[in-house]
Amino acid sequence: MPRDLELIRNETVKVWKKKRFAVILLILLVLVPIFVYAQMKIAQSSQDKFADWRAELRQRITDNTNALSSDRIPEEWKKWRIALVQQLQYYLDRDVNPNTPNAVRFTNTFLQNAVGLFIPLMVLAVASDIVSSERAGGTIKMLLTRPVRRWRILASKLVTLTLYVSLILVSTAAVSYLVAGLVFGYGGWAEPVFVGFKLQGTDLDTSAVHAVPQGVYMLMQLGLVWFSAMTVAVIAFMVSVLVRSTAASLVTMMAAVISGSILANMASSWHSAKYLFNVNLDLSVYLQGSPPPIEGMTLAFSLLVLGVWALAAIVVSFAAFTRQDILA
Amino acid sequence: MGRKQGWLWPILGTLSLLCTALLLFGFGWALKDTWSPSAGMTLPDPAPAPQQGGVAWADKSEIKAIAIGDSLTHGTGDATGKGYVEASLALLSKSLGKPVRLDGNLAIAGLEAAKLSQLLDGKAMKDAIAEADVVLLTIGGNDLFRSAQDGGSIAEGSGVDPELVRARLPELEARLAAVFNKIRSNNPSVRVAYVALYNPFYELEELRTPLAGILEQWNGNAERLAAEDGNIAVVPTADLFRAQSGLYLSSDHFHPNEAGYARIAVRVAQALN
Repeated sequence: MPRDLELIRNETVKVWKKKRFAVILLILLVLVPIFVYAQMKIAQSSQDKFADWRAELRQRITDNTNALSSDRIPEEWKKWRIALVQQLQYYLDRDVNPNTPNAVRFTNTFLQNAVGLFIPLMVLAVASDIVSSERAGGTIKMLLTRPVRRWRILASKLVTLTLYVSLILVSTAAVSYLVAGLVFGYGGWAEPVFVGFKLQGTDLDTSAVHAVPQGVYMLMQLGLVWFSAMTVAVIAFMVSVLVRSTAASLVTMMAAVISGSILANMASSWHSAKYLFNVNLDLSVYLQGSPPPIEGMTLAFSLLVLGVWALAAIVVSFAAFTRQDILA
Repeated sequence: MGRKQGWLWPILGTLSLLCTALLLFGFGWALKDTWSPSAGMTLPDPAPAPQQGGVAWADKSEIKAIAIGDSLTHGTGDATGKGYVEASLALLSKSLGKPVRLDGNLAIAGLEAAKLSQLLDGKAMKDAIAEADVVLLTIGGNDLFRSAQDGGSIAEGSGVDPELVRARLPELEARLAAVFNKIRSNNPSVRVAYVALYNPFYELEELRTPLAGILEQWNGNAERLAAEDGNIAVVPTADLFRAQSGLYLSSDHFHPNEAGYARIAVRVAQALN
């Protein structure tokens, strides 16, 4: 066990020294202020236009209802809009503002939008070369000549990856909270958010709806984002074992993640696409109660699909790594 | 591992382990909340919006208006999408000498009076009406012309059967009365401008006379209801779309175009002040 810890420590420090995490932090520090500024502009313009949030919400509901009556919008957009209209109506009827500008709200919205593409890409920055870089640099030989079994070495890399994924997610939330707070204020932890909306066809089932504080919502959302980020990380880990070049493994995974976010927008009629991991990444839709990319997907289903993919990736990684002829 | 990095591992290791524990906890919470939700927070009961009422327009620094109804208020047919609402409020603002704020255009294309009356029971509409000084309203066109449809294309007038409408007219008129009543009960002092119906099929000779009678009856009934209420202005529009109706109707031969809406806007503003 002390030897395993030593291995993990070794790997963790190695990744740190490659400055990957520093780059991720830097990207966050550049991008988040841009989003905060955009959000601030939106908040300002709606403040000029509407007397209060209720008037704004009423207008939003009406606009979306009117958009529904157009025959030319695609069916899945319609479904998404119907769910949105009914949710907004639910908020309005209970006199709860779904859009109070504060740092917690901003962070939640940011995480929601980042889960499909932004966060996976940041995870890939660490995951894609965690094995392949050793091979490209030739250091793998030194690693494997130590008196430690191969699977233990790979396992220490996997643990290191898990630690970094967690660190990346918490940093993302922290940076967006801290930067947004400068503009919107640091409050909002206790404000209510409704969860538990269920979509039954085109009708929204509100029987299980209950309010949770925004802080709890953020924690739940982070947990779900972590699960999908871990799946991406583990699959990238497998690719990193199988592919010799870091560039190739990064491009493969980026292609997979990006095609997933495209598919999620257009695959509603291709039902078997729901078994692809990259269509299931956006777990926050289940928390929000908006329609999933493909009909019939539920939280349990998505977790199962992601879990199976992740497990398979781990099995393949270990099987390949322990048998690969590396020293030749 | 030199001595310089001695601090790195303890901090990094502990911090990332704590992050992992936190995220796992959040993940577990999300699962629990989805599959066996607790009762959740208790929220205060929503309070109804404060009513405008009591204060004369002259003493207000700003007049609040809302627009409700069907596609005419939504602005269907106007290439710029504005309809008559903004223009008439701008004219009203000029004649009053104070700002008039549009607090929302809540019109929904295709709305019928029965549905509007249902919406007026909801909290959203109740609050909107209660907070307003002016309500701009168009309704009834869909009730009349849809109930007249016998399967043909409505835009060409071919599907319109005047006899069908005439039979249902009393029922439809009661819906308008319900709409007026609900607006009034939500706000005793709000001034309402109801844009009366015009005949979009005036060009079609076989429909001109029968529809003229029906529209006259509908608009007359609206006038009577308005007079009973005392603070509802019925804005006549039938004459605007008679001569050269092609100039003022949009390409769907049913809704007004920009020029048509501009004419309605002038009348609405005049009726309000």
